[in-house]
Amino acid sequence: MSAIVETQGLTKVYGNVVALDKFTHRFEKSRIHALMGKNGSGKSTLVNVLAGVVQPTSGQMSLNGKDMHFSSPADALNANVVTVHQELSLVPELSVAENIYLGRMPKSHFLGISKIDWTSARTKTKILLEDMKLEIGPDAIISSLSVGQQQTVEIAKAMSFNPSLLLLDEPTSALASKEVEMLFRLLRRLRKQGTTMMYISHRMSELAEIADTVTVLRDGKHIGTVEMAETTNSDIVDMMFGNVAHNRPAERVSQADPNNAILKVQGLSRKPAYEDVSFELFKGEVLGIAGMLGAGRTEVLRSIFGADPFDSGEIIVDGQKIKDPDPQYMTEIGLGYTPENRKEVGLVQAHSIHNNLSMASLRQNAPLGIITKAAERPGVIKQVDNLHIKIDSAEDPVSSLSGGNQQKVVFGNWMNTNPKIMFFDEPSRGVDVQAKQQIFKIIWDQAEKGLSSIFVSTELEEMLEVCDRILIMREGRMIGELDPSQTTLTELYTACMEGL
Amino acid sequence: MQITQFFRRHPMEIILIVMFIFLVFAAPGFATVNNQLNVLRNITMQGIIAFGMTMIIVSGEIDLSIGSGVAFSGCVTAWITRELVDVTGPFFAITMGALTAMAILFGIGVLTGKLRQHFNMPTFITTLGLLTVLSGAANLITDGFPITSFPYEFNFLGSGYLFGIPFPVYIFITLFALVYFLMNYTSFGRSLYAVGGNLEAARLSGIDVWKTKTLALGLTGVFTAIAGVLIASQILSGSASAARGWELDVISAVIIGGTSLFGGKGTVRGTLIGVLFLGVIVNGMTLMNVSEYWQYVVRGGLIIGAVWMNHALDRKVKA
Ligand SMILES: Nc1ncnc2c1ncn2[C@@H]1O[C@H](COP(=O)(O)OP(=O)(O)OP(=O)(O)O)[C@@H](O)[C@H]1O
Ligand SMILES: [Mg+2]
Repeated sequence: MSAIVETQGLTKVYGNVVALDKFTHRFEKSRIHALMGKNGSGKSTLVNVLAGVVQPTSGQMSLNGKDMHFSSPADALNANVVTVHQELSLVPELSVAENIYLGRMPKSHFLGISKIDWTSARTKTKILLEDMKLEIGPDAIISSLSVGQQQTVEIAKAMSFNPSLLLLDEPTSALASKEVEMLFRLLRRLRKQGTTMMYISHRMSELAEIADTVTVLRDGKHIGTVEMAETTNSDIVDMMFGNVAHNRPAERVSQADPNNAILKVQGLSRKPAYEDVSFELFKGEVLGIAGMLGAGRTEVLRSIFGADPFDSGEIIVDGQKIKDPDPQYMTEIGLGYTPENRKEVGLVQAHSIHNNLSMASLRQNAPLGIITKAAERPGVIKQVDNLHIKIDSAEDPVSSLSGGNQQKVVFGNWMNTNPKIMFFDEPSRGVDVQAKQQIFKIIWDQAEKGLSSIFVSTELEEMLEVCDRILIMREGRMIGELDPSQTTLTELYTACMEGL
Repeated sequence: MQITQFFRRHPMEIILIVMFIFLVFAAPGFATVNNQLNVLRNITMQGIIAFGMTMIIVSGEIDLSIGSGVAFSGCVTAWITRELVDVTGPFFAITMGALTAMAILFGIGVLTGKLRQHFNMPTFITTLGLLTVLSGAANLITDGFPITSFPYEFNFLGSGYLFGIPFPVYIFITLFALVYFLMNYTSFGRSLYAVGGNLEAARLSGIDVWKTKTLALGLTGVFTAIAGVLIASQILSGSASAARGWELDVISAVIIGGTSLFGGKGTVRGTLIGVLFLGVIVNGMTLMNVSEYWQYVVRGGLIIGAVWMNHALDRKVKA
């Protein structure tokens, strides 16, 4: 079989970090190549180099046998090398159609003057979205969409370029099963049409379904490539982490104290996002809220935390009614919220890892308003160690970290506040399997010490694994609750899709 | 290697030193003690405001009204002095005047912050309006003529010497130390950076983003009033035409010092260098008899050059 992309000793160095280390490989045409590796192993770097986003420090690549030099992403697009990046890159204020055709809006000519042809832009977008079976209108404004929906728009945008090589950097990290299936159908169709794909994901279960080959990176090096049909998940994990002991999911007994509802929510509404939401969170409990994209989970959590307003309803924390929650007050009384979109609202990208890990605990560390780096350092070191955040120096900007490591910083920022109640919105998004187990373990350990948390994830397996109890949300309403130990994945999936 | 690293991290310091050495040889009278003290005194007033402005710009806002603010506070102080001096004596009258000016400008800063918070009024617009409003107010107070109500002793504040050093320099150093402390060792300072770097991330981390911005605007108001009182002392009157155009000098110094107009990045130490830099270059050019018009051209070019260099070096350090 012929190769579409060949790399020879491809290397990318950032300061002291060798992100990609003499990567040499042939990627065969019309196949789906999974790239696997732990956080910071160089997967995104490889994609960025292939997509013309960054220039390799040394090494060669060729596309269809010809030397390939992309000095910008535009060059890559011209060669039909299209990328869906790990971090979303849509313009939040613009509509879906404008984003998809950004910089190349269809034009019409009238008396020699060219103007944007809105009708055609809208129609083309509509066809594209319908073809992907997406229920999003071409005029929807990006910032009004959930992160998962934004991710599907990002994929639609990639499709509109007619890729011959499609690079997908964790396209499913914010998607729920339904959208994942949609994506996979699309990828299989593209493969049939001759498109080659590279596919990055931390979800092992997806590999068997979609990948033809698996290429593993560790510390920027090419560890090996295997045919998916001839390997097992545990072999892949071994290649990813080397011969280190693996964390196994721990046996766990629920710590929930059903007599002590630390958080009570009654009749909370904000139409049209959610309506009449009521539930209780017990002390020491890990409570899941499951639902499809757009079910309103994030919106409810944000309202309780005071990040968004609500129309009516009651929030009672520790027996005390909260009138007008705002994030500052809620943080003060021991709540915390890790947002799902780390790049936009979870981190200050240009600031150091140190500062990002100390942001939410700032006031705790400065009781009299006075703060020193030394006072914060123990917290920084603790989180870097606990979460195995791969850093060169804590003074580096957080933007220099790989996606998964940035996610750990968001998590660590809040764990440094010693919260009483935590809302985890997609805490494991983009985090590798081992670090994921570590995050779950921390949630459980803290639960034993009295932390009560609400856990939201698009990965239903994860919800079953982590939670003591799962609430089901559908179209903005709480429709019931499930006991994870008595529930199969299919049952949970059906409950989210069709109700109980 | 280490030297190039140092150069990349502290480009403005090095350029300042090089220029200083150049002027020692090229500009007649530059290297005298008297001239150096003169430079120091000339930069203090704008410098004081630039320290406050650094906090504002780091927090992602701007204040364009400071030129008029300086004139306004001088006039308020002079006016209150004139009204009170016969009743209370000069010391109390001037003190009352100065405190009133500080309180008013603090209040206006807070108001600007509140308008930003509740009505989403960009500070760029509000303070642009205030630039005109305060100038008008200063003229209303003085009726178009400087108020010369100050006793001669008051001149000490702006023009006097203590242990051989111009008195305003002490205030300059004190306020630098204060802002340095605030920005580096307080949760307020840390919040300034977070708020300017990513407003929503800061808000969701439980930081009181509006209090932070408002306080920066208010404090700078106080600094502006202090500069206004010092100027009034120097010219021994409250004049509505004092400090015209200062906003651009002050903002230039902050930017030359490496602070990003987009917020979230910058240091008051950099601003100090920026202030010294502008002071030295203006003084040097004057001594070398460079025409005033050329001085404008050079200063403008410097701002553009400094921003370009900071940007270019930033990318080098990252890559
Ligand atoms: N712009 C940058 N500046 C400095 N270091 C960087 C930069 N981008 C990436 N790195 C470093 O390169 C290494 C590889 O990062 P990369 O993003 O390729 O990892 P990844 O395999 O995609 O990880 P993840 O699964 O977390 O997304 C990391 O150590 C990261 O810190
Ligand atoms: Mg990555």
